Amino acid sequence: MSDSKTEVYESFVEEIPADTIKLDVKNLNFFYGKNQSLHNVSIPFQRQSITGLIGPSGCGKSTLLRALNRIYALYPGQRAEGQVLLDGENVLDRGMDLSLLRARVGMVFQQPTPFPMSIYDNVAFGVRLYEQISKADLDQRVEESLRRSALWNEVKDKLHTSGLGLSGGQQQRLCVARTIAVRPEVILLDEPASALDPISTAKLEETLVELKADYTIVIVTHNLQQAARISDHAAFMFLGRLIEFAQTAKLFDNPRATRTADYITGRFG
Amino acid sequence: MALLDRRSRRKAANAVFVTFCTGAAALAIMTLFAILFSLVVKGVSGINLDIFTMSTPAPDSRGGLANAIVGSVMLCTVAMVGAVTVGVLAGTFLAEYAGLNRWTSAYASIVRFLNDVLLSAPSILIGLFVYYIAVKPVHGFNGWAGALALGLIAAPVVTRTTEDVLKLQAKQLRESGVALGAPMWVTIQKILWRASQGGIITGALLAFARISGETAPLLFTSLGNQFMNLDMTKPISNLPAVIFQFGLSAYDDWQRLAWVGALLIAATVLTINIIVRVLSQEQKRS
Repeated sequence: MSDSKTEVYESFVEEIPADTIKLDVKNLNFFYGKNQSLHNVSIPFQRQSITGLIGPSGCGKSTLLRALNRIYALYPGQRAEGQVLLDGENVLDRGMDLSLLRARVGMVFQQPTPFPMSIYDNVAFGVRLYEQISKADLDQRVEESLRRSALWNEVKDKLHTSGLGLSGGQQQRLCVARTIAVRPEVILLDEPASALDPISTAKLEETLVELKADYTIVIVTHNLQQAARISDHAAFMFLGRLIEFAQTAKLFDNPRATRTADYITGRFG
Repeated sequence: MALLDRRSRRKAANAVFVTFCTGAAALAIMTLFAILFSLVVKGVSGINLDIFTMSTPAPDSRGGLANAIVGSVMLCTVAMVGAVTVGVLAGTFLAEYAGLNRWTSAYASIVRFLNDVLLSAPSILIGLFVYYIAVKPVHGFNGWAGALALGLIAAPVVTRTTEDVLKLQAKQLRESGVALGAPMWVTIQKILWRASQGGIITGALLAFARISGETAPLLFTSLGNQFMNLDMTKPISNLPAVIFQFGLSAYDDWQRLAWVGALLIAATVLTINIIVRVLSQEQKRS
């Protein structure tokens, strides 16, 4: 894929130790029909850490995220080429069991999407799909998931009321609880705080920082401060290309690409 | 001066238009009230316990509408079970699977078009059609044929509303079901249907209201029965056919029963419409 345009997109990718990589994206190209929206993106995601994806609207960060659990496969006409290696296995392979993949790579969306059922059933939904466990074990799993997503104290007395009755911030933490109840290995978050107030955002961020001890977390965010606060690594994307990937502190304090510097200093985007 | 003229002309035109609109609305409401009024006046006096306990009588003898009420309930229930099953599945296909590939989307546009045709097909046509496929071959009017005819009228309504309410559900609700590792069909059954159930029930109730007064298709199929009959393979009595037969008769007591039958149907339809209103209000609130 040589770029015929005169503009050169230089990509600065910091190496990370191979044995700490959970999810390794190599030469990923993504197409919406005939439009290519990702160009040769290569980026490693480290286990037990948070990687933040930043960049202006339409730069491809959500597209990249949606390639990692192949949620795009719901829509005919969208396709990905290249490699997304989850523990060395290419999730883009034709033979991949998509449901199992998504149980391993969970996802939280921009808008909270509680299911039209009780809080308990929301959290138990994914567990019941794959595991035959006793009522007591399920109860425990639900409690543990709600505790880890910092929601337990607010809902423990109304587990059997509708999830739709919670506030926006609570609903989003319910979605996090629902995702971790399945015990995935990777959690993808697509601007999870953009619909939340500052207090709910802070709670959600605390939750994520606690969760990273056990999970590989990838978060797309429009909020640079948020990326700076919670991520260990950060990736800056622009026009469907990865411009820079580095430790968050380095990327923000000492960016190597001019575009990155321009973006984080607010000169564009 | 000219300016003032134009302004007053405009005001007058406006007044005339508003008067016409108001008048038309009043006419519609008055007609409705006149129907309800005559129904109540002529129907209520005929209501007594016999209506619900005795079958349709011979002229000049005691009787009620029990066989017709039971028959109508049976025919409508069987019709609705079939219509909801087919309608919800077909509507789900149109909303969720039509975009799968070129073939499914071509198939879906054909189904959607035919469904719209069926939605506005004259019910007498449907009655005639069912007569030829389900009455003539077995040499006899029967309840199954009646239920089939009513089901054919109700199914397109359910299909259409199911498709519409499913399409209203947020894309992200589908995605979050799938993102938990649920296959699409589980996501549809456990999440999307549940999220849409208010709308689907509304559609089914409206379809039920529609078929509860249908007469033409039943005259071709279930016909009617002077006696109480629970056997679907035999002719079954029903309210619309009784109203048709008794209403046109020369006997006073038969005419009175026809009015009672009409009142019962009107009350049922009215109740259903009120339930639908309440349901959709609640839907809006949540």
